[in-house]
Amino acid sequence: MIKESKDIIILPDRFRDPYTFESVLSMNSSLLESSGTVDMSRIAFIEPYSMISFLLMGRNFLRKRGEKLKLIHIPIHIHQYLNRMDFFSKGIFILTETLPEGMSLKRNPISNRLLEITEIPGKERQGVNALSSVISIFRKRSELILKFWMDESIVDYFVTVLSELCQNIFEHSLDSGFVTMQTYKSGKENIARLVISDSGVGIRGSFEGKKTLNYKTTSQLIELALTTPISSKREFGYGLCQVNSITEKLKGTIFIRSESSSLTVLYNKIEKGKNIFHRNDLPYFEGTQIAISLSA
Amino acid sequence: MIILVEKLARECKIKSQDLITRPIGRSLFEKAMEKIKMTDKGETVILDFENIKVIDSSFIDEFIVRLIEISSTEDFYIKLKDISLMAEINIDSVFHSYSNYKDKRIAAAREELGRNNKYYIGPLTQEESDIIDYLKINHHSSLSELLRFSGIEEIKIMPILQELYSLRVIKKINNEYYSV
Repeated sequence: MIKESKDIIILPDRFRDPYTFESVLSMNSSLLESSGTVDMSRIAFIEPYSMISFLLMGRNFLRKRGEKLKLIHIPIHIHQYLNRMDFFSKGIFILTETLPEGMSLKRNPISNRLLEITEIPGKERQGVNALSSVISIFRKRSELILKFWMDESIVDYFVTVLSELCQNIFEHSLDSGFVTMQTYKSGKENIARLVISDSGVGIRGSFEGKKTLNYKTTSQLIELALTTPISSKREFGYGLCQVNSITEKLKGTIFIRSESSSLTVLYNKIEKGKNIFHRNDLPYFEGTQIAISLSA
Repeated sequence: MIILVEKLARECKIKSQDLITRPIGRSLFEKAMEKIKMTDKGETVILDFENIKVIDSSFIDEFIVRLIEISSTEDFYIKLKDISLMAEINIDSVFHSYSNYKDKRIAAAREELGRNNKYYIGPLTQEESDIIDYLKINHHSSLSELLRFSGIEEIKIMPILQELYSLRVIKKINNEYYSV
């Protein structure tokens, strides 16, 4: 972490994937103790997982401190992108600079390779309405979002994944969350990334009442939830299991982070040996953050 | 009775081709039961999913599983029709989980052959599967015909037929067995 002065925290250019973003998450406790001004001048690129996680950091700051994080020195292209993704419309941040007139990215059909950030409320009725709306927009844009992977069934697979993961927010997290999706280019690779995150009770908190489950670390519990139909509320569940099975069919990757742990499953690299990676020594961050990615 | 699920959803003010979440499953269940109450005892209720693309596990739990659970006490049979590939995958996953964790199997007859090449969805054995296929082709059969076809001894086939009847995937009328 770099502190320009006592009052300003400078964020590093570590918004490129869930792994590099860990260094930003490690600044969370310092951020909560700071005056709440964040310099974004060094950020050159932001992908969807980092964007949503930073949104959650801002929301946590607002909840704990009762004031909004102030973002300064945002590079214009980052500002344009965040604006296009509805990042600023959630009322979580204060902006000191506005985009120059005519610099906002147009919302035309060609740029619809994305789902803007949408809040999934923590209450069932509102959550269902928000989810229905997200799925309806996804269906309309799916040919553009999934252009490089398009086949007969992939849209329906993603509708199932969206449905299962968003329902976990209002059924289990005891909080509201956010969903977004985008296809973008990274080097020669095209990446489609769906991100669904909340800052609720986390996976361990959700399964607290299930004494019959046998696990030592949170990452082991995440793996159990991915591979066994367990549920925190009912006798059994299907959500994460089904998501795991679909990701395997699509040869994608799953990254799940909860509190101080994460689990990564790489179905695109099975032939190269080990494909499940556990981590349990990460900086603490509330809730559950999930990224499902395809690459081509 | 044929229940067009798309029409049922519209009656619940749901226009989407994707039926997802528990509340939507509960609404459709209540609506379906209003119609099923008007059927004769032992009637087959065909749930026609034409134009429905995705049904998720929560919806399946609240709609299909509940209808199957109540079908014994209310005396009707459920048959699924026009199931999409995704719906079939999700139903199969729910039925397998249910059967593993509740120590009680669940299955449903279907109108057309599925991707499992069977006329049902659910964790049934090969012997059970063969009997369902035979009844589907022949519509109905006596015990002696089933004994001849399957080659299973009578003492062994009776509990199999009883189990299939309990699962509501075959019908028994007098001493004849029928496909659903």
